[in-house]
Amino acid sequence: MSGFRRARKNKQLMAGAAVGAFVVLLGIFGPMIFGDYAAQDLFNGHKPVGTPGHFFGTDALGRDLAARATYGIRISLLVAIAVTALAVVFGTAIGMIAGYVKGTLDGFISFLIDFIWGFPLILVAVLAAASIGSGLLPVILAVAFVNTVAIARVVRGEVLAISEKDFVVAARAGGYSTLRIISRHIAPNVIPVALVLSSYYVAVAIIAEAALSFVGLGAQPPLPSLGQMVSDGRNYMRINVWESTIPGIIIFLMVLSVSLIGDGLRDLLDPRLRTAVERTSAK
Amino acid sequence: MSSDTDPIVDPGTSGTTPVEHATDARTPLLEIDDLRVGVKGDNVAYDIVRGVSLSLYDNEILAVVGESGCGKSLTALSVLALHQSPPLHITGGAIRYRGVDLTTLSAAEMRALRGAEISMIFQDPMSALDPMFTVGSLLTSAVRAHRKASKAEARNAALEALADAGIEDPRRRFDEYPFQLSGGVSQRVMIALALVNDPSVIIADEPTTALDVTVQAQILERLRMLKEERKMGIMLITHNLGVVAAVADRTAVMYLGEVVETGSAQDVLAVPHHPYTNGLLAAVPRLNSKVADLKPVMGRVPQPQEITAGCAFRDRCERALDRCATEHPVLAPRHRTSVRCHNPVD
Amino acid sequence: MTAILKRVALTLVLLFASSFAVFAAIRLSGGDVTAARLPASATAADRELFLQQVGLDQPIVRQYFTYLGNMFRGDLGNSLTNNASISALAVDKMRNSLILGAAALVLVFAIGIPLGLVAALRRNSWVDTGITSFSVAGMAIPNFWLALILIYIFAIQFQVLPAAGQGGWRYLVLPSVVLAAEGVALTVRMTRSAVLDTLGNDFVRTLRAAGLSNRRIYLKHVLRNSLLPIVSLAGLRVGQIVGYALVVEVIFGWPGVGQTLVNAVLRRDYPVVQFFALVLVVVVTLGNLAASIGYTLVNPRLRK
Repeated sequence: MSGFRRARKNKQLMAGAAVGAFVVLLGIFGPMIFGDYAAQDLFNGHKPVGTPGHFFGTDALGRDLAARATYGIRISLLVAIAVTALAVVFGTAIGMIAGYVKGTLDGFISFLIDFIWGFPLILVAVLAAASIGSGLLPVILAVAFVNTVAIARVVRGEVLAISEKDFVVAARAGGYSTLRIISRHIAPNVIPVALVLSSYYVAVAIIAEAALSFVGLGAQPPLPSLGQMVSDGRNYMRINVWESTIPGIIIFLMVLSVSLIGDGLRDLLDPRLRTAVERTSAK
Repeated sequence: MSSDTDPIVDPGTSGTTPVEHATDARTPLLEIDDLRVGVKGDNVAYDIVRGVSLSLYDNEILAVVGESGCGKSLTALSVLALHQSPPLHITGGAIRYRGVDLTTLSAAEMRALRGAEISMIFQDPMSALDPMFTVGSLLTSAVRAHRKASKAEARNAALEALADAGIEDPRRRFDEYPFQLSGGVSQRVMIALALVNDPSVIIADEPTTALDVTVQAQILERLRMLKEERKMGIMLITHNLGVVAAVADRTAVMYLGEVVETGSAQDVLAVPHHPYTNGLLAAVPRLNSKVADLKPVMGRVPQPQEITAGCAFRDRCERALDRCATEHPVLAPRHRTSVRCHNPVD
Repeated sequence: MTAILKRVALTLVLLFASSFAVFAAIRLSGGDVTAARLPASATAADRELFLQQVGLDQPIVRQYFTYLGNMFRGDLGNSLTNNASISALAVDKMRNSLILGAAALVLVFAIGIPLGLVAALRRNSWVDTGITSFSVAGMAIPNFWLALILIYIFAIQFQVLPAAGQGGWRYLVLPSVVLAAEGVALTVRMTRSAVLDTLGNDFVRTLRAAGLSNRRIYLKHVLRNSLLPIVSLAGLRVGQIVGYALVVEVIFGWPGVGQTLVNAVLRRDYPVVQFFALVLVVVVTLGNLAASIGYTLVNPRLRK
C-alpha cells in the first residue's frame, strides 16, 4: 500500500516537473523564436491561432501573441523567483530567531506573524500599490512580505520542535555558541521545510502577479504580463477567444506544475512535517 | 467468581467433556463455529483466524487469552462485523447467535443487532468515546438507534445504565464531555453504553488494559456483577492471565489464530496441558517466586503468512515431536480440559 | 469565556494598529495633495494655507484621530475625481459587497464540505478521484480566467446569465461562483483529509458497535469532529474572499468596495482609497476574530 502510494506521489512530482520544465523552456526560448512582443501591425489584429508567422495569432493591435505570452512567462518567473528568494531568506531568518530565542521577542514576533498571516495577499498588494504606485515592484514587495510571514510561521514551529531534540540540547550543554548551534544543527533541519513550502508560495506569487496585472495594478504596458493579456483579451472574446485563453492556460499550467511539485515533495517528507506544510498550504 | 459458584451449568468441569460441549444439554447464546477470518487483497490471501470454535452460554464469563496478534481481538470484532473490511474478510465458518448465523445478515439486520443483542466494550476508553458529545447524548443516541423513545425516556434509560455501570453520580456525568472523565469513569461510560439497550451478550476487548491496577479490579468486579444480576454471557478478550483467574468461568487459550486449550478457567490455570499455556503461566511473575524462575516463552511468533502444515507452535516448543512438523493436531479432551497437542504436558 | 474576551480586546488593539498603519502608509505616500486640489497657479503660501485648512500640517497621529473622529460623525471627505461625498456612496458599495461576499462564503461551505465528505467516504472510488481532481484544478485555475471562461460559456455562448452588472439574483450567480471557487477547492481538500483522519478514530467503531446507523455516524459524529480544522481556518476563507473580491468585482462590474478601491488606486483618488482600504482591513480582522470565537464555541474543551 505505502509502496503504491509513494509511486503515485512520485508520479505527481514527475508530472509537475515535466509541465514546469516545458513552461520554463517556453519562457527561455520563446521570445528568441517569436520575435518582438511590442511590434504592432494594426491591419493584422485578431488573427486566429495558426496564422502563418503568428503561431498563436495576434491581439487587437496585431502584436504576436506567442511572443507576448512567452515573454509574459519570463515576467511571471521573475516575480516568482524574486518573491520566493526574499521570502525564503527573510522568513527562515525571522522564524529561526523567533523560535530559538523564545521569550518576549518571540511572543511579539509570533503575535505579528499570526496577525499578518490572516490578511489576504491581494489586499496587501493593492495597499502596496496604493502607497508606492502601480508596477512590478509593489507586487514583488507585497507578495514577498506576506510569504515571508507565512514561511516564518512554519519555520518557527519547526525550530521550536527541533530545539527540544537531544542533539541540540547536547550541543547547548557542550557550550557551543548560539550561532554555531543555529547554523550547524538547526538550519540544516529547517531549511528543507522552508524550501518545500516555498514551492507553494511560487504558485501564490504567480497567481498574485497575474491577478494584479489583470486589474491594472501590476506590470505596466507595454510589458506583456500574462494577467494583463487575459484582461486585454476579454474584450474580444466574441472575435477571438484565444487572446485571453492562451495566457490563461499558461498561468494554469505554471500553477498546476508548482502545486504538483509541492504535493509530491510534501509526501516525500516525514508525516510530522507533512502536517506542518499542509496546515499552511491550506491557505 | 470461580467456576464452582454455579455447579449445574459449568460445562468445562463436567468430567472429560470435549470443549465443543457436545454433551452439554444447553444451547449456547453465541456459538462461533470453525471461524476463519483473513486478509484478501490483490495478491495476498491468508487467514489470521484459522478455524476458531467457541461457545458462550448465558450467565458466564468466557475469557479468550493469547499474545497480541493471536487473532483474539479479530475473532471478537468479526462477531459484530466490525473488522476492517477490506482487507479483512470472513472466509469461512459461522457465528450463530440464538441459532441465527450472523455472517449471513444484511447490513441493516447487523446494525439492529449491535448494542441491542450483542454489545462491545473496547480497550482504550479515552479514545473510544466521541469527544464532541456529552456522555448523555452518546447514550441517548444509542437508545434511540434501537427504539422510539421520548427524550425523557431515553434520558432515564441512560441514567439507569450509568448507575448500573457503577457510576456514582449519573446526573452529573450525563452532562459531561469525555475529556472531563478519568480513564476508569470513561470505561464505566463504555459499559453503560454497552448496557443501555439491555443486550444478552457483551464482548469486552481488553477492557482493563489501559487502566490503573486499582481501577482494573473495580471494572472486572462490575462485569462479574452484571453477569450474575442479568445472567449475561460475557466474552472477555485479554492477554492477562490474572484477569482470567479473577473473573473467568471458562477460558480458551489462543495461539496464532487457533484455540490450543480450553476448559474451565480453574482447570486450565491449575493444570495446563498445552506447552504454550504452560509457558504462559511460567512467565507470570508471582509473589513467592524469584525473577530467575520466570520463564519467557522462547522464540518469536511466526507471521500468519509463514504458517505451514503441522503444529503452529512447534518451533517454540521444547516438547515437539517429529509428527508435530507434519501432522496438524486436533483439539481433543485430556483430563478436565481440551488441548490441541501431540505431546501434552501432564 | 475569558479567552473570548481576551481575544476581542486583542483584536481591538490590532484594529487600531493596522488601521493606523494603512492610514499612515496612504497619507504619507499620497503624493502632493495640493497639486491635485489647487490650480497650478497657486503660490507656496496658498499651498501652506490649504494644508492648514484641511489639517495636513498636523502630526500624522493627530491626523489619524481627526480622521476617525470625522468618520464617526459620518464625514469621510470627498472623492478627488468627482468631488462626490464618500459617505454617500459608502453604504451602497458596502451593501453590494456584503451580498456578494456572503453568497460566496455560503457557497464555499455549502459545496465544499459535502463534496469533501463524499470524497472521503467513497475514497479511492471514481467519485473521489473526480472530486479530488476537480479541487486540484480549482486551486490551479486563476479566478479571473475562470471568470472569463464562465462568461464565455454562460453569457456569450448560451446567453443564460448576464456577463456583468447588477440586478436580480441572476447577476449574482457568476461572480459569487468565481469568488467561491478556490475556497470550495480548499474546503473540499481539507474536509476530505479531516474526515479521513476522524474515520480512523476508535470512537467511530464504538458508535458502530452501539448500533448507530452509518448515516447518523457520518453526518453527526464524524462531521462534527471534522469541522474543527475547517472552522479554525474559516477566517482565512473570509480574507481570501475579500482579497479576490478586488479582482472579481472589477471583472463583473460589481459596484462594491473592491471595485471602488481598485479604481481609486488606479486614479490615485486617495480619500477614497483611504476609507475603503480601512473597511477591508476591518472586515478581514473581524473575520479572523469570528473564526476564532467560532472555534472556541465548537470545541467542548475550550467552551467549558
